[in-house]
Amino acid sequence: MRKKILALLAGSALLASSACGLGSSGAGGGDDTITIGTLFSVSGAGAKLGDKMRKGAELAVEKVNSQGGIDGKKIKWVFYDPAGDTSTAVQQTNRMLDSDGVELVVGGGGSSGIALAMDPITSGKGITFIATEGARQIVEPAAEHRLTFKTTFNDTVMIEKLIEYWKAKDVTRVAFMPDTSSFGQSAQEELERLAPEAGIKVFTAAFDPAANDLTPQVKRLAGNDPQAYLAWTIQPSGVTFLKNVRSVLADRDVMVMHGFGFVDDRYMQQAGAAAEGTILVSPKLPIWDKTEDSDQQKAAMEDFATSYAEKYAGEQPNVYAGQAYDAMMVAVEALRATGGDPDGEKVAKAIEGLGSHVGVTGVFKFTPDDHSGLTADDVAVVQWDGSRFVPAE
Amino acid sequence: MDLFIQVLLSGLSVGAIYAIVALGFGVIFNATGAINFVQGEYVMVGGLSAAMLYEAWDVPIFVAILVAIAVTTVLGLLTEMGLLGFGRLRTPAAITIATIAIAVIVKGAAMLISVRDTYALPSVLGSESLQILGASTSRQTILNLVLAVLVVIALTLFFRRTKLGTTLRAAAGDSETLQTFGVSYRTTARWAFVIAAALGAVAGAGLAPLTVMSFDSGTLLGLKGFAAAMLGGLGNPQGALAGGLLLGVAEAVVAGYGTSAYADVVAFVVLLAILTFKPTGMFGTARAVRT
Repeated sequence: MRKKILALLAGSALLASSACGLGSSGAGGGDDTITIGTLFSVSGAGAKLGDKMRKGAELAVEKVNSQGGIDGKKIKWVFYDPAGDTSTAVQQTNRMLDSDGVELVVGGGGSSGIALAMDPITSGKGITFIATEGARQIVEPAAEHRLTFKTTFNDTVMIEKLIEYWKAKDVTRVAFMPDTSSFGQSAQEELERLAPEAGIKVFTAAFDPAANDLTPQVKRLAGNDPQAYLAWTIQPSGVTFLKNVRSVLADRDVMVMHGFGFVDDRYMQQAGAAAEGTILVSPKLPIWDKTEDSDQQKAAMEDFATSYAEKYAGEQPNVYAGQAYDAMMVAVEALRATGGDPDGEKVAKAIEGLGSHVGVTGVFKFTPDDHSGLTADDVAVVQWDGSRFVPAE
Repeated sequence: MDLFIQVLLSGLSVGAIYAIVALGFGVIFNATGAINFVQGEYVMVGGLSAAMLYEAWDVPIFVAILVAIAVTTVLGLLTEMGLLGFGRLRTPAAITIATIAIAVIVKGAAMLISVRDTYALPSVLGSESLQILGASTSRQTILNLVLAVLVVIALTLFFRRTKLGTTLRAAAGDSETLQTFGVSYRTTARWAFVIAAALGAVAGAGLAPLTVMSFDSGTLLGLKGFAAAMLGGLGNPQGALAGGLLLGVAEAVVAGYGTSAYADVVAFVVLLAILTFKPTGMFGTARAVRT
């Protein structure tokens, strides 16, 4: 109960602060601070994910500042909540750059649409922008987005991993259910492009992310006798997908799968028995304690998972928190390389020159041509065993 | 054939919920002439608080649902106090617009209290699915349908056979004349909001086992319930039931046979068509308030 009240208080404080901006306005920067601006939607439809992202970024800022900052300069963090609204986000981005003295932007509002709208503003002002949103178009083609990066997986990478997995399991017929958001539609484009080359037949039925029943789509797809059913969404209707598939196909032995947007303990628990055995593509973070000791990410993931749980009252970090943490850390590493100079061109060069940055959601290798930095090697296939994620067989 | 049965079951399952939401719109319209856009949020508050009580505080499921209905009913009472007491609003247009503000406040408060998390509520009938003629559905579907029908019967009897119900209907007909008989406008409005909120909570508790609830679950549902109410004739209980089920089945048909991407648009196309061609709804008469 006490936890709830605390969370409530924190929530209201956050709302108040997002309304007026955390940092005091003014020139910012100065000699002893570097001002980093962040937009995450901690209210509105995507609030659940935005909250995780904010916590991940906050953890990174506190960690860096408590360890002496960047070459002696502390990070001054300016945070705004666009509540999922693109036009609000555009205003806030302008305000951050014009009056809050923000020198580097990390986090694109928690939605690809917002990040896409922020990119021309930051680029136009010569500011480096590290997004935490999914759409490829945020950073592609890299030649036109020289100052913009992202620390999320391209869905192309995830789908390559899926196809690899299906081939290993002799799966040739797949039922695909993306939601109608840009997240789902982009994955549909990629899967329908890549699967035929691999000899895999895909049957698609999209669904509305606000739907409360998906049995008609599942039943229709079942007519094609697929071996695997894959959903692609970040919305709670993914829980309905799991319940409906298990109910309609109660007498069939099929592989039930979700994309990387649904790697979330809460969702799995809420689907109950219907979630058991669900296979997902995911960064390694949810199974960090099951990875080999030789895994170069293990130490980073362990440190992140334990310090996150410590700071947020036992709450487990998810992939979204990890992406935001990684984005902030990439910014910090690049700033260390420039000697604390936030000049957009210099920071972008520094990010491309980081080599391998070991993050908690993958090992980032940014290059002038690749501003996403992650490959299929960073993806794990995981399975929900009824109580937690484990590596899939 | 299997697919057709599946589509029908899916439509009835969701349609039953739409119907109960539509009934809530009707009750308040009958008493005040206003459209209550908090109706969808009552569904959210009912479903979310039942699920939160069950999941976060380990309250037994029946108790959780009863407490959720009570909480939502209090919210209905508060809505009335805010609009007609504190706000002193009397005209349907002013009340309608103010309900939008209240809906936003309720949603924001729910976001903070639920810490933006989603919550699940299992079905009181268990999680096993039912197989009917080659199609499958959850037991909750049957329960929701039975609930919707029972609620319609109860409301019809209430409005026709009880003194309070008759008073509420009279208020809808001519509230000024009624006031000269010594019946306060606020008394009738208060009862309407209490009944509508309780209906919303029932819809929420029926919906939660089909999906998961979050602070965001109510708004779209409210709009669809409104479309269902308009389809059946605003204020007519049997019309609300027919409108809800029809809308649910229409959506399921589009999802099952057409491009599922457009299923969500169905409600709004229906709403537009009804407003254009028959604003009183399928079962509405010239004054849709008569039941």
